[in-house]
Amino acid sequence: MRVLRQKDLCLAWLTLQFLLIVLFSCRYTLRVAAEGPTILLVSIESFSQKAETALSAGLDQKLPASNPVREALATYLHIAGIETGYNYFAPNVPGGYKLVFELHYVDGRVEYELPSVSSAAAALRMAGLLDNIGRTPYDALREILVKTLAQSVWREHPDVESVRAIVGSVRLPTVHDFEEGKRESYEFLYAYDFSLQNAPANTNHR
Amino acid sequence: MQGVKARLLKFLFPPSTDTWLALLRVGLGFEVTLYSLSLRNDWTYLLSGTARKLAEALLSLESHLIPRFGWFLALAARVGVQEKTLLFLAWACLVAAGCGLLVGVACRFSAIVAWFLHLCAAKSGGFISYGMDNFLTIGLFYLMLSPLPDRYALDWRLRNLQPENPELLGFWRRVLQVHLCIIYFFSGLTKCLGPGWWDGSNVWRALIRPPFNVVDPEILVRWKYFFPLAGILICVAEFGYPFFIWSSRTRRIWLFGICGMHIAIGVMMGMYLFSLVMIVLNVAAFGPGLFRREEKLVTLQPEAAAS
Repeated sequence: MRVLRQKDLCLAWLTLQFLLIVLFSCRYTLRVAAEGPTILLVSIESFSQKAETALSAGLDQKLPASNPVREALATYLHIAGIETGYNYFAPNVPGGYKLVFELHYVDGRVEYELPSVSSAAAALRMAGLLDNIGRTPYDALREILVKTLAQSVWREHPDVESVRAIVGSVRLPTVHDFEEGKRESYEFLYAYDFSLQNAPANTNHR
Repeated sequence: MQGVKARLLKFLFPPSTDTWLALLRVGLGFEVTLYSLSLRNDWTYLLSGTARKLAEALLSLESHLIPRFGWFLALAARVGVQEKTLLFLAWACLVAAGCGLLVGVACRFSAIVAWFLHLCAAKSGGFISYGMDNFLTIGLFYLMLSPLPDRYALDWRLRNLQPENPELLGFWRRVLQVHLCIIYFFSGLTKCLGPGWWDGSNVWRALIRPPFNVVDPEILVRWKYFFPLAGILICVAEFGYPFFIWSSRTRRIWLFGICGMHIAIGVMMGMYLFSLVMIVLNVAAFGPGLFRREEKLVTLQPEAAAS
């Protein structure tokens, strides 16, 4: 009897678990299809957009953030590691982003520095942070993240008068371009000027 | 209807040995230890300050109940413990939990601690998390719910501790197996949608994109005719996983293929932690019984497995 009840409980949990996994995976797949570029027809891409919106609404997006059901669902998704889809490097491998700090010293000297960490494992994570900085549509968020990195550079170079942080996207060459001698290139996206005063950064956009 | 339910129950609750669980425990223990040690010098830098606070603030928009280091840091600040000290303590506990899993000491407790601390690190460091963190969370979540300890753990050998629900060994293995199938199916499906996986350009881009550019592009370019084949093979291996991993005739080739792909990712892109966690999950889920029938099934009698 105990075993049977245990099996029913397991079945109920399993149904919920895999329903959530499949729904969230579908949602991310539809998003990928909608954002493109993919091999799908444009009409299917626009359908994917509508389907993704509908699925998001069905899952939790229409509920207010403080709704306990939404909070409980979000918590479970995160603790089980199923809050995201599985579209790594799909449908296409994106180009990366680069952040360069231009350090201006009182005597007029200028040095260049890259955000650095001490291990390869941390370097992968730093690349993820740069991707977040480059991709976020929120200027304020980008500025805070860049400022955080700039502060750590500043701690290592306390005699610097001001720091200019330059964010660029990396353009990867195709195989053909590479054979013709072209290498990766950078496209300027944003620049932030930080000075010793605690004022907001002056921002330059592309 | 009854017949369908009976078949479903038979599929979901098969008799199983605990070899898969031992592989999962040791593999994830090794992964957690390696993960912690690889970040030892950057742990505080990556998880402290404004970036952590910002990640946690964004996390709060989803739910206030998702574990994070901010909870403990706020408490620690009240008693005068510094952020650095608490983060170091968390790191040390994570290493200890990883080692505990590796040898099988306090298996359940170690699994819960490892899951919780890694989750805190992944969520508080939201801007620096990537796929590996997601898969490690999944693996540790299933591990802590599974019937621990297994017969290879020191808990069993030295303290004679045995699992309370050994009849669920098969169930938890199935959960892991089906989850992996969903993961590869959707990963393969989304890759199939990208034109770059069919002509090989995505393979080239993945291998030359910083910081994954471990192999010199001058060497890679000599293999350019292999890229389309590699791209198609990746799509087929991932998309075909749920269809070919179950049959005993194709399981071996599919498991070797997928593990080979992850080894290549680890070696050629430097993502050794990501590769390791994927290999551990795959080998634990589908490895046991691959070459010979499993000897002793653990159903209702855990003692049977010990003999």
